[in-house]
Amino acid sequence: MSIGNIIHLIRKEAILELRNKAILASMLIYVIGASFIVYFAFQGQIEFQVWAAIFWVIILFSATNIIGKTFDKEVRFQYNYLRTVVHPIELIISKLLYNAILIFVFELVVFLEMLLFFGVDIDNMPLFFLTLFLGGIGFSNLFTLFSTITSRTGNVVLLSVLGFPIILPLLLLILRLTGISEVDVLSTDTNVNIGAVVVLDLITAALSLVLFPYLWNE
Amino acid sequence: MFEKILYQSWWKVLTILLLSFTCVYGFWVKIPLLPILEESIRNLFFHVPMWFSMMFLMLMSLIFSLKYLVSFDSKSDVYASNFAVVGFLMGCLGILTGMVWAKVTWGAWWVFAEVKLNAAAAALLVYSAYFILRSSFVDAELKAKFSAVYSIFAFVMFMVFINVIPRLATSSLHPGNGGNPGFNSYDLDNHLRLVFYPAILGWIGIGFWLSSQLIRINLIKRKIDDID
Repeated sequence: MSIGNIIHLIRKEAILELRNKAILASMLIYVIGASFIVYFAFQGQIEFQVWAAIFWVIILFSATNIIGKTFDKEVRFQYNYLRTVVHPIELIISKLLYNAILIFVFELVVFLEMLLFFGVDIDNMPLFFLTLFLGGIGFSNLFTLFSTITSRTGNVVLLSVLGFPIILPLLLLILRLTGISEVDVLSTDTNVNIGAVVVLDLITAALSLVLFPYLWNE
Repeated sequence: MFEKILYQSWWKVLTILLLSFTCVYGFWVKIPLLPILEESIRNLFFHVPMWFSMMFLMLMSLIFSLKYLVSFDSKSDVYASNFAVVGFLMGCLGILTGMVWAKVTWGAWWVFAEVKLNAAAAALLVYSAYFILRSSFVDAELKAKFSAVYSIFAFVMFMVFINVIPRLATSSLHPGNGGNPGFNSYDLDNHLRLVFYPAILGWIGIGFWLSSQLIRINLIKRKIDDID
């Protein structure tokens, strides 16, 4: 296992993504369209709590769509080649990191979009971005491993079926963090919540790293 | 070794005895008359042990999933999936008995403010996804491998839902949490304990018995199909 390989793999992911810009562009239009529909549905007036809930639901839906395609980018026999040259752990680390970065970018896009439309003020910006960052990592950890499973079934809704109930604890913590990032609550409470999100991220990452080799090797 | 236990009868006799004791003495035992709870406290012998039973069966399912990933012996997959089926059934029964209890004491079948209810429902969703995953595969080996991996996640999340989230929550309507009337673990008097502990063993026993029947049916099917 080497860090050089991981960097190469991440670069490969990015190149593949840019080579087929249609998928990236369609995802971009998807999130913009979704926030636009919300804008119209609420006629531009929205309370912060509703805003936060809708924001994370849009992120969740786009994350399933983005990550659901992780293992469809390459053709099946390219995987046979990858199996011979890289260790499965290197591959999963690169996929997790790449997806986390991608989701973070999409989170920023949705955030700017929803900020433009609804003009909410967020008191504690650093906490909000920390939540975005940690949430993106959590989504990436869970959905990447599940997309390995679902890419073999051909059942397109399966990723949502598997992922949504399992993402729930993370989503609840994130929502609480986003909710209280506007209202001032005792700082210890926030730290406990951040700690819980970090622990969940670590657990899911560890499970992905341990379990992926079983799914990868044939 | 484990397979032998499935065919032994001593623990089945014990289960029958314990459950008959629960069902008879549970309605007979002198209970502490607490406000609001009143006679409904007897649900303690049914509702609570069902969750213990579910936890036990899901733990068995996890152990056999892990065993599958170590040995790739397809028999372990039979064990893991059938324990999960009965565990799921126990969870459903736990929710139903809980709903009846909630109607009597809290006045509604379902209460949003109650963390444990929603967490339990989410845990059941996680396991229903497990069954959907299993039914999505045609290839038996892929099915076994991928569902074993998923069931590890499912168990971790099950524990988070049942044991972690309710403890993080600041308030709960369940007895022993927050400042609501009812009982907590210290109020459980010895009369209740006398039925409660046998009830736990009895419900675990019947869950194990049901799954052992399912497993034996599937093992016979495998013999018919010439897998073993």
